Amino acid sequence: MTDTSPPVTSAPPLARTRSSRGATVAVLALAALAATLVAGIALGARDISAGEVVRVLLHPGGETFNSHVLWTDRIPRTFLGLLVGAALGASGLIMQALTMNPLSDPGILGVEQGASLFVVLGILFLGVTGVQGYFWLALAGSACAAALVYLIGTRTNTGSTTIGLVLAGVAMGAVMSSLITLLVVRDRVAFAHLRAWSVGQLTGRSEALGQILPFAIAGLLLALTLGRTLNVLGLGDEAARGLGVKVERARLTAAAVAVLLCAAATAAIGPVAFVGLVGAHVARMLVGADHRWSLPVAMATGAVLLTVSDTAGRLILDHGEIQVGVMTAVVGTPFFVWLARRRDLVRV
Amino acid sequence: MTVLDTRATAPDSAAAPALAAAARLRAVRRARHRRTALVCAALAVLLVAFTAAALLIDLNGVPASEVLPAALGLREGLADYLVFQLRMPRTLAALLAGALFGLAGALYQRLIRNPLATPDIVGISAGASAGAATVLLLAPAAYVVGAPVAAIAGSFVLVAAVQALSWRGGQVDTYRLILVGIGLSAVCVAYTNYLFTMAEANDLAIAMRWTIGSTNAADWDGVTTLATGLACCLPLAVWLNRSLTAMALGDQLATGLGTRVNPARVAVLLLGAAAAALATSVVGPIGFVSLISGPIAVWLVGAERSVLLAAPVGAAIVIGADVLALHAPLISPVPTGVLTALLGAPYFVWLILRRGQGAS
Repeated sequence: MTDTSPPVTSAPPLARTRSSRGATVAVLALAALAATLVAGIALGARDISAGEVVRVLLHPGGETFNSHVLWTDRIPRTFLGLLVGAALGASGLIMQALTMNPLSDPGILGVEQGASLFVVLGILFLGVTGVQGYFWLALAGSACAAALVYLIGTRTNTGSTTIGLVLAGVAMGAVMSSLITLLVVRDRVAFAHLRAWSVGQLTGRSEALGQILPFAIAGLLLALTLGRTLNVLGLGDEAARGLGVKVERARLTAAAVAVLLCAAATAAIGPVAFVGLVGAHVARMLVGADHRWSLPVAMATGAVLLTVSDTAGRLILDHGEIQVGVMTAVVGTPFFVWLARRRDLVRV
Repeated sequence: MTVLDTRATAPDSAAAPALAAAARLRAVRRARHRRTALVCAALAVLLVAFTAAALLIDLNGVPASEVLPAALGLREGLADYLVFQLRMPRTLAALLAGALFGLAGALYQRLIRNPLATPDIVGISAGASAGAATVLLLAPAAYVVGAPVAAIAGSFVLVAAVQALSWRGGQVDTYRLILVGIGLSAVCVAYTNYLFTMAEANDLAIAMRWTIGSTNAADWDGVTTLATGLACCLPLAVWLNRSLTAMALGDQLATGLGTRVNPARVAVLLLGAAAAALATSVVGPIGFVSLISGPIAVWLVGAERSVLLAAPVGAAIVIGADVLALHAPLISPVPTGVLTALLGAPYFVWLILRRGQGAS
């Protein structure tokens, strides 16, 4: 965001990505995004032929049912998926860079649960309605949860902070979801509503797109400016200080952006785990550890992952659909387990 | 109990100090017996008190003198309905499920030698819950027998998967085991959530039971399942506890003492999973009970006897939480699992802050 440090004159130390490779990946990422966008709009429970889709897109405002399905459901839904996925991918990558922990993810660390808890409190006691109101509550909740989990997780005695953070996230997630249940269990209407929301889904959330757009875009733009800061922070506090970075301030700024992105995503569609984890790792596999490249790529991979999961969830069943939160858990868990099996992870 | 008999090995010239040592040992053992007896008595009083509270609070006009006969099924009408149909199954299910959870947790903690490695944390309860919920929604007719069987099958699948996936380089690292378990439990929870948001019958009580854990829907069939399960699991746990005591000395020493280490390990893993699964099949994945019970039992009577004592401790925790869940001011009624999580999670945090390694 506001990188007040004097410009680093030497070549950035982690710049392992040659720009030619970066350009290739950027083109591929754009192609994947475009393909996801097309698939998200063209595929769904209702069979609409390709020609019909093109015709409806060229003539907006038609009165047919197909036109209604596309313009009020599939198109906003796909864009919302892309936006939320990008936010979660960037948030996951920033969290991983800040905690130096390959298992960090806004869902796994319980940050999304904190956001959910505050949204529930707001709905029940402050009468908040609308996604914009949810966003401010989610922001406060994810900030509290992130601070709490970080404080607990980095002070554990569990062999490494990697595991400590995950365990702290699990514990705080359990507390917060219990508190949510405690708050809503006697209110049947609120319970039914929140049950659907607490799984994390894009169904019927099209109206959230317009309301969450400014926050998500602001967060994504702020995240794009963080690449250099994260690279320098990755060298360790002393080296970063030597390069003229105000470490605490830079860290706090980056954390604030991560929390902002997570809050925007959770306010829009509810908690969805594993998107940040998988998106960030795939991005790093593609372009290496240089955050100036991996941040935008993580946004793209997160967006593709979430939207493809959602589209697949719409197609797998003949009737009804599988919520995107369930799909990302199914996709993300093998990834998580594979990471947990890596030798260098345990006992860092 | 496995203290070596020093008199047999001591040479004659050293008989006097050896005898003194033996006397000291006997004194220690007597003190330990006394302590165990005291703890058992205190727990019994606590259990009776909680059970009485569960049956007697807020009787809706049934006279208190009618409760005992009604609990035995000797009354009719309101007393029968309230006490025999509603409260007795619920109370017994809480007690028995708590005992099974406690037993399962203590077995795992003692085997894996990490207080965090309990069936609820490493995803075994979640697997059992997914199995039972599948039967409930796809074959509701076969529910009474099918749910426990499916829960046990689900938990065994999870045990095998967690073990296989955390196996690396010829051994299982404890923390890798816990991480893999957390990951797999996320899938099971996602699947269970999916089942219930998809189900036609979006029944609140049932969804509560399988995602959070609640004694609310327990009936006499469930109590039969739990009682049978506990009757099978307790003797096996007593029998396996001898192997566990030997294995606490290390695998090599245990092998030297005549324990077949690997079969014993597999047996303990499966027994703990089955116990947790049986409890889950009736009351759902009530969290953190198996995590708390073991360390409390160790603190009360020491590691060696903790496995069996964890059963009454677990029973006391669940019935206590259940009484609170039903009758506590402001918050009641809530699912039992909410209260155990709110009590257990702070303890879990304390555990990872204070002593991540090497308990029991």
